[in-house]
Amino acid sequence: MLVVIKTVFHFGPLLFGIGFIAPLFAQIMDAMDWAAPFGLNSLVFGLIVGGAYGLVAQIRGRWI
Amino acid sequence: MSARDIAAMSDTELMRVEREIAAKHLNKFPYFAVFWAFANLAVWLALWPLVFLSGLPLWVAFPIAAVTITLCYLPSHEAQHDIIARPGTRLRWLNQLVGHVSTIPLVLPYRIAKLTHLEHHKHTNHPEWDPDISCAAPGPLSAIWQTVRENQPRAKGGMNSYGATLSRIGRPDVVLDGVVYNLVFYGILFALAWGGFAIEAALLWWLPRHVALIYIRFFLSWAPHHPGLSVGRYKDTRSFRSHLGNIGSMGMQYHIVHHLYPRIPLYRTPRAYWDLKPILEARGCHVSEL
Repeated sequence: MLVVIKTVFHFGPLLFGIGFIAPLFAQIMDAMDWAAPFGLNSLVFGLIVGGAYGLVAQIRGRWI
Repeated sequence: MSARDIAAMSDTELMRVEREIAAKHLNKFPYFAVFWAFANLAVWLALWPLVFLSGLPLWVAFPIAAVTITLCYLPSHEAQHDIIARPGTRLRWLNQLVGHVSTIPLVLPYRIAKLTHLEHHKHTNHPEWDPDISCAAPGPLSAIWQTVRENQPRAKGGMNSYGATLSRIGRPDVVLDGVVYNLVFYGILFALAWGGFAIEAALLWWLPRHVALIYIRFFLSWAPHHPGLSVGRYKDTRSFRSHLGNIGSMGMQYHIVHHLYPRIPLYRTPRAYWDLKPILEARGCHVSEL
């Protein structure tokens, strides 16, 4: 159990990128009537952006 | 008592007079802080159904959420110092209830807040042992930026340093409170986001919490201890004049009184400050701004 919790916290930025930023980005796009590039739907595009941002934060240890 | 009388006093006499003055402001029940704890939490909780069911615009709800989350810390702070009720007294349950519930929106467990805050009092401005020393910065803008930096995932200071403080004082078990709070917080955020309410979750909790953390750090940790270089009872905290006034600075202009007598309720610190000011000046405290 402890190992699972430590792993979850270790990958916190990546999980936050996928779990929160991705749907947030997608819903902002939908609300603003922005179309995702390459014919992607907004959630897939949100996952790419949120996942990539989360991965960068995971590696750098900071969001900004 | 004139300034000349005070200047002629010995250390022992100064301390006696200081304690006599402080005693007038101790053991007062902070009715407003108790009301504030529950009313503030109720307002923040009410925002959720109001936004989801009644169509309260998010642009209205967001600043209200930011203000309520910012204000949620201070009632817990009164509880951390047993100001509402001391251990073993009839209303102790109320003290603990206020401590636990008021900081829920801030995702700050009471036991972590209390234990680390008491360490801050014991070791104010100590470069290694003060858990809040990482907010020290040369000016107001850099203080805000410093808090943003300390909130990053692998930052060494800020709340990330609280685990080390708890280990140092022999209470690593309390870290579990933080684990539970964070799992629940992020679990709710993720569930809301994937349920189609990411913008609501961001503007009612995630972003207001970050605003609150910056505001609280600025006025409770940075401003009263700036420049954060001196240690000692009469040197580690100062009074200051805020452009936002005493309410806008959450009563922290008189924080020096709180560090000298932590059990004086927040609402009494201005009066206690003005009563104590001649003594503080005689002691060489940093009280020139106010």
